[in-house]
Amino acid sequence: MSKPIRIFLPLVGFVVFALAGTALAADPRYPDWPCAQAKVPEVSVAAVWAGPALDDATGKWKDDAETSALVARLSARRTPIEDAEAQISKYLASKPANKSEAGKELFAGVFETLNEQRSSVMSGLERTMRKQRAAAEKIREDTATLHGLQDAASPDQTKINALADQLGWQTRIFEDRSKVVRFVCDVPNAIDQRLFALSRAIQQGMED
Amino acid sequence: MWRWGLLLGLATWLAAAAPANAAKAYVSNEKGNTVSVIDTGTWAVVNTIKVGQRPRGIEFTKDGKFVLVAVGDDDTIQMIDTSNDKIVDTLPSGADPEFFVQDEAGKTLYVANENDNTVTIIDIAKRSLLGDVQVGVEPEGMAISPDGSILINTSETTNMAHFIDTKTHQIVANVLVDSRPRFAAFKQDNSELWVSSEVGGTVSVIDPAKHTVIDKIKFNIPGLRSEAIQPVGINITNDGKTAFVALGPANRVAVIDGKTHQVTKYLLVGQRVWHMAFTPDGKYLLTTNGLSNDVSVIDVAALKVIKSIQVGELPWGVTISPQ
Repeated sequence: MSKPIRIFLPLVGFVVFALAGTALAADPRYPDWPCAQAKVPEVSVAAVWAGPALDDATGKWKDDAETSALVARLSARRTPIEDAEAQISKYLASKPANKSEAGKELFAGVFETLNEQRSSVMSGLERTMRKQRAAAEKIREDTATLHGLQDAASPDQTKINALADQLGWQTRIFEDRSKVVRFVCDVPNAIDQRLFALSRAIQQGMED
Repeated sequence: MWRWGLLLGLATWLAAAAPANAAKAYVSNEKGNTVSVIDTGTWAVVNTIKVGQRPRGIEFTKDGKFVLVAVGDDDTIQMIDTSNDKIVDTLPSGADPEFFVQDEAGKTLYVANENDNTVTIIDIAKRSLLGDVQVGVEPEGMAISPDGSILINTSETTNMAHFIDTKTHQIVANVLVDSRPRFAAFKQDNSELWVSSEVGGTVSVIDPAKHTVIDKIKFNIPGLRSEAIQPVGINITNDGKTAFVALGPANRVAVIDGKTHQVTKYLLVGQRVWHMAFTPDGKYLLTTNGLSNDVSVIDVAALKVIKSIQVGELPWGVTISPQ
């Protein structure tokens, strides 16, 4: 056997194992969901908001330049949550006359923006899972082909080496992607946490 | 000169004495494998203690000298000396301890071992095993009656609250409640026993003398699906007038009139709220919010959330020093 074969064979085992692992955790409603964390497609307003009814605030926030700029800053993950909370408190303190309206619009903006972020992260994860499944299938097929080549009466060593190399790369890409998926699986939760913290700060600011 | 020295000495003494006066809250962080210590005077985390694997049930001993924490994956209960926050000993809890209660005297500990269907009984002072009760079902929530005569054990399999005589260790009554009974709490005057059903979404109010359900508390939060309302922790004020029920992924604590059993208010606290504890003066109630990794402080008189404190990963239980 040539050297590359010895390297990739244990990796093929890993590929099969990794897919089996995600299959075990799967919720039948979401066959492409790759995470151990349960998939919650959408956060409801009531889960994070105990303030006044939003009414038409949902559409309004985008029309106001100040509000929509603040929403963008608050929703960005690079803004530390403490800074975001301070900005909320400062902004609402500057609107003593219509604090309630301002708070509602701000919340509506943050809620909509972060829910969209969540959806796009989740659909990205599911897209990656589908790609991974196809990649695993390809690795399985190529492994079978390789075994066929090796078992031939007069093995073509050049072909074997080329295919072994290719398999090594495929496996490595698969493995790297699996690692990224595991990391990204925490992102929806992190967004939920941020949404909750921002919502709490807005309600606090409306009461102060 | 001596006056300055005296003043300085006094100031140092006051500075040292002030924080010691405030009760301390100990919070078990299930995923972080730590216990966070919160000063209830300043609401700041003053210490983080590394403990065993998967800490969940946590309780002060009645003398306030130790904090007991069940570390399920290490199959034991660790004792933290609260004078220096060091782990000093362990208790023979049996396999996978999740939750425990102690009698009013603080001598006997009852531990629920979910996996082997037993309740382990431990002598706290001697740190030795007194015996096991085969409860025959998965023990989950537990409570001791104020007079110490009855141990309540709720079971996920039977959907019952089992009444166990603490002298004979025999089951003397079974009361059927809603699905997945999770937590039990007595009113201080022994007039009522409250049992929360996590999946059923209700709290059953039981007459402990007659062993019958006398009322059932339901929760309704507009905009939330009913399956998001999962009652777990129950804390009732000493006068029995107000009760608080933690509603899990509803992110809220329900405030309930102790007499009429009507929900009067929902307080938004943190994500996936499970367990709670009162400060010794009864002025504040602390809640553990598992997913937002924080503890909320409720002002009991004002019925308002006044603070949230970041702790470790996945906070589960909380206990506050008796004073």
